[in-house]
Amino acid sequence: MSLLRLEALSKKFGEHWALKEIDFGLEEGEIVGLVGPNGAGKTTLFNLITGRHKPSSGKIWFESKDITFCRPHEIQRFGISRTFQSSRPFAKMSVLENVVVGRIFSGEFHLFPRPTDIKTALQLLELVGLAHKEGAIAGELTLSEQRRLDLARALATEPRLLLLDEVVAGFSPLAVKQAADLVQRVRERGVTLFIVDHFLRLSLRVSDRLLALDHGEKIAEGKPQEVMRNREVIRAYLGVRLDDEEQSA
Amino acid sequence: MTKGQPTSEPLHKPPTGQLALLPGLAILLVLPLLAGGSDYVLQVFTHALLLATLALAWNILAVSGSISLGHAAFFGVGAYTSGLLSLELGVSSWATIPMAGLSAVAVAVLMWLFCHRLRGAYFALATLAFVEIPRVLTDNWDGLTRGSRGLVGLPGLPGFPLGAHHFDLGASPTGSYYFVLGYGLLLLALVTLIFRSNLGLALQAIREEETAADALGIQVQRYRLLALLLSALFSGITGGCYAHLVRYIEPGMVYGLHFSAIPLIFAICGGRFTIIGPALAALVLYPLDQFLFHPLLPAGHEFLYGVVIILTILFLPSGLWGQLRKGHLVSIKTGSIE
Amino acid sequence: MWTTVLVSGITLGSFYTLVALGFALIFGVTHTFNLAYGELLVLAGYVAYWLWKTYGISLLLTFPAAIIVTLAVCLILQRLFSRLREPMEMNSLVVSFGLAILLQNGMLFFFSGDYRMIRVPLLNQGFRFHGLYLSYGQFTLLALSLLVIALTYLLMRHTYLGKGLRATIQDKESAALAGINVSGMGILAFAIGAVLIGLAGPLFGCIHYLYPTAGLQATLIAITITIFAGVGRIRSLILGGWILGFAESSAVVLLGASWRELMSALMLITLLALRPHGILGREEK
Repeated sequence: MSLLRLEALSKKFGEHWALKEIDFGLEEGEIVGLVGPNGAGKTTLFNLITGRHKPSSGKIWFESKDITFCRPHEIQRFGISRTFQSSRPFAKMSVLENVVVGRIFSGEFHLFPRPTDIKTALQLLELVGLAHKEGAIAGELTLSEQRRLDLARALATEPRLLLLDEVVAGFSPLAVKQAADLVQRVRERGVTLFIVDHFLRLSLRVSDRLLALDHGEKIAEGKPQEVMRNREVIRAYLGVRLDDEEQSA
Repeated sequence: MTKGQPTSEPLHKPPTGQLALLPGLAILLVLPLLAGGSDYVLQVFTHALLLATLALAWNILAVSGSISLGHAAFFGVGAYTSGLLSLELGVSSWATIPMAGLSAVAVAVLMWLFCHRLRGAYFALATLAFVEIPRVLTDNWDGLTRGSRGLVGLPGLPGFPLGAHHFDLGASPTGSYYFVLGYGLLLLALVTLIFRSNLGLALQAIREEETAADALGIQVQRYRLLALLLSALFSGITGGCYAHLVRYIEPGMVYGLHFSAIPLIFAICGGRFTIIGPALAALVLYPLDQFLFHPLLPAGHEFLYGVVIILTILFLPSGLWGQLRKGHLVSIKTGSIE
Repeated sequence: MWTTVLVSGITLGSFYTLVALGFALIFGVTHTFNLAYGELLVLAGYVAYWLWKTYGISLLLTFPAAIIVTLAVCLILQRLFSRLREPMEMNSLVVSFGLAILLQNGMLFFFSGDYRMIRVPLLNQGFRFHGLYLSYGQFTLLALSLLVIALTYLLMRHTYLGKGLRATIQDKESAALAGINVSGMGILAFAIGAVLIGLAGPLFGCIHYLYPTAGLQATLIAITITIFAGVGRIRSLILGGWILGFAESSAVVLLGASWRELMSALMLITLLALRPHGILGREEK
């Protein structure tokens, strides 16, 4: 049974359909890349899954629970966490505090942070390579560091499913490779990953499968090599039609 | 780099920066002796301490990201509750002051019903308008509140028995001073606890990035409401203390812009991202205003506050103490950071 | 009785619209709140009062003087605002709050806390018009307010500068791309706002007591009508002004004069409760 299942999911903003009849199943332990050109509806899909917006129609199932209309903090309780397209660190708080906040609200209620909370937070900072900056103020980090902080913070909630939205935007090729290694290590911890990656630099490296959207519709799904050869996908990204002969290169 | 044993800042130990303020605390503790019998000096500092508590209370709400321009609503309701309970029903000050806090909480609940969806500047404007409601009601409901005539002859701050004696704190400037100082220190300890707790972390997270906080499982509205209620509670208590301190209140005064502006100015100029900044600003600016500017300009000396807030927002947005403590404001420290 | 309320409501309401007009313009163009706007109104009134009382200058000649003063203050404020960082709305609120305190204390220093008023006996007399009684004061207020509003409307619709202002209000970035000097438009908005409030001030001093803290009410009124109207339409500002004027006049008749001040506050809170994203109605991204 799929970990996450999207059933005929649709979203309309005013007169404009952002998503149309999306059907998709995400298996546990997978890394799935969500790809497509700008405006394809990728972030909207994430927003629907995490409860920031309500679908116009369709359903979302997580571990056989209907989470279609749940609110963000409820979604988080079920075990789904996300990062955002533009990094949103708690700017005036320290790096360590950022991750601790991720830790302390995902379980039972306590009055004060416990030593175990802080220890876990430090371990996560090690994982993402920010342990040396635990006392730094989050607002002063570089872009790459902020994205890694976002990741550590989201991981602190111990999610079953992690949605990463454009986590390598603006990264150098070396940083992308490091991010790919990091993502693999996250998967090894037992987290299923759903990654939005407009430029494909990360998705093609790490994904088991891809889901391709264009103008709110699913245009392809499957192994990365197959999806990237799909004519519709190529047309969506390049805006041109390719003949069969031209395509096989 | 060695990593120390990770703990959150132990609560019994004050943070290093605040140790620098110990001499100040010592001065405050013995001020009546230093004042050399001058009632006026004592009264100014008593007032400054009271405004410090109001600023601390205001800042509880500000930590959650909501800036209030109308805290006089809570202060004034607290003052009037204390005043009316003691005048009409003869309730002792020990009881009227907590009741003042509770009445302010009730007003805060009403405010929440109207304002819970508002953020930023619109929330601030709503609070600016909201204070008119208790003000006009108090001003006009003569039967209950004696209207614009105000309440005169209010009893003083409470006393307590000790052995055979009864220490009537309200009877002397010294007694009043220590009462307010005691309240101030208590509130400071409480605010420190709040800042250091998970509640404080949640409020700061909400202030910084509400959407991210929501996505991490923080129930944003619940925490914002809690911050509002706590802020109102202590503002009301301060109002009650004020009524028993000055023993005369009237609507224009306790609901006026003065008590809405002052906590905001002190908190922002002191440093609204710090714990003690608001209180420090109160203890510096108010005496400065009273001792220096008031004699020079009997009318209009409060322009000082206008100048200070403008300069702060333009040039020192984290406030004076906030600027001094930059980089050291974290609640959670491990051994490797000082 | 209700005819009195109607007359009073429209007269007062038109004046309120005049007061709100400058505020709305400044907010629309620069996205900044000027919490000192009411204080500027009172200041303009004080200037007119002082000239009229001390030097016996006729009321009409005090208008230019009042405008010069408000222009000076508004341009200083614009300079202050231009140094602000994001969030503009919140920061401008706090800075102008500080300026309001400054102005209040300044006026307290120069004019003391006594209640002042420009007394023009002619204004208290009146005339009948189709069964309605109108004092000359009310008539002047109504006529002048509507006249100035109409002139502003013509300015916005039919002049080059006005079109630039409207473009900036609609979309700052597009306006900039179209070659409009957006920061210049900001300065222009402040200048026009200053002129409008400078005109309203002496009028205010004739119909209302002048005292240092009188500004808060005026600011609340300006904010309320601006938020009611949303961005862009002078017609909505007029409607909002009339509604508020009518609400206040009704309150005076039904409850008593001292309840009047509550109306603008109640209206503002209700508006904000219904429209939590304020004037521009943007969803939080």
